[in-house]
Amino acid sequence: MSKHYPHHHADLEQIISQQCPFKPTKLTVSTDLTYQIHASNTLALLQWLKESMTCQFNQLIDITAVDYLHYGESEWKTDNANTGYSRATTALKASSHPTEPDTRFVVVYQLLSTVYNWRIRIHALLNKNPPETSSITTLWPNANWLERETYDMFGIVFHQHPDLRRILTDYGFKGYPFRKDFPLIGRTEMRYDAREKRVVYQPVTIENRVSVGKTIRDDSRYTHSKGSPEQ
Amino acid sequence: MVMTNQDGNNGYALTTVDQLIAWAESGSLWPVSFGLACCAVEMMHSAGPRLDTDRFGVFYRPSPRQSDVMIVAGTLCNKMAPALRQIYDLMPERKYVISMGSCANGGGYYHYSYSVVRGCDRIIPVDIYVPGCPPTAEALVYGIIQLKEKIKGNYHFDRHSS
Repeated sequence: MSKHYPHHHADLEQIISQQCPFKPTKLTVSTDLTYQIHASNTLALLQWLKESMTCQFNQLIDITAVDYLHYGESEWKTDNANTGYSRATTALKASSHPTEPDTRFVVVYQLLSTVYNWRIRIHALLNKNPPETSSITTLWPNANWLERETYDMFGIVFHQHPDLRRILTDYGFKGYPFRKDFPLIGRTEMRYDAREKRVVYQPVTIENRVSVGKTIRDDSRYTHSKGSPEQ
Repeated sequence: MVMTNQDGNNGYALTTVDQLIAWAESGSLWPVSFGLACCAVEMMHSAGPRLDTDRFGVFYRPSPRQSDVMIVAGTLCNKMAPALRQIYDLMPERKYVISMGSCANGGGYYHYSYSVVRGCDRIIPVDIYVPGCPPTAEALVYGIIQLKEKIKGNYHFDRHSS
């Protein structure tokens, strides 16, 4: 290829800090380039990322959301984060928690620029009640189903969406399963009613169970990490 | 089998007809194709050339109207449960159900999930449970052989000779 394109994410970082009119906050959550912005500016920012000739993020990879309701709290305690389970209790808290402490939901957009081979992730901070943002189906048509899934699982309303229905859960399903206050076992379960001759819902009959590691392994695989200072 | 009565004469046909029907029925078990998850792949393997359930008269049918047995192969979700029951209801009488794999047997890995039926026996009556996650194709063939024996009324049989 004779034509030169800037291929490094450092270039993209520079372009966004210098040219982007919406000034998104950069997060150091992972090696992927991640920016945070309030939901009211998301549509404009994404449109800029798509249409600006210096970025050309022409593909929408995924839309999902994060519920920060119990963020930083743990359902179980283990010796060390690298021997058992941790639920984002310490390390990530400083870097990835939303800048506004009231924020409960964050909508996450993953974009790809096939022109420059860049990927970017946008965290959109939502107002707490009701959690709502504007649809981006006008920018990428595949946002239709992705936003339906996010609505189905988190109850986030996307305004101007052409057909905002549930997409995965059962017809007539109540509640939003990916919210942290939704019980894992749900509220209803199914059985066949021989008298009514149909499948019916009834209140759930089993107890919820928190997955606790029953054994903390202390063998040679972990001796170097347990009790020794971090390298 | 010919029954002999107390007089020493040859017996009557009633038991023999039952056994004849059972023999015919167990020799042509046509399952409705109902794969739900990874178990369905093992079910396909059991029908493939290596294990070849055709030799037991097991042909997969595309319609519940033509089927004698339903193999519930995979995770039964709440959304699928009414469809499963409807297909079961559409099958003509003298029908059997093989529950294949942990998910169909009791929810399995998804027992504590909000969207999965904790065992397909909450929706339809089950004759044979095949354990495993997923069960091997051999295990399903063993379950089919057990169902054949159950139809024939042989509840005790030698695992090495059948």
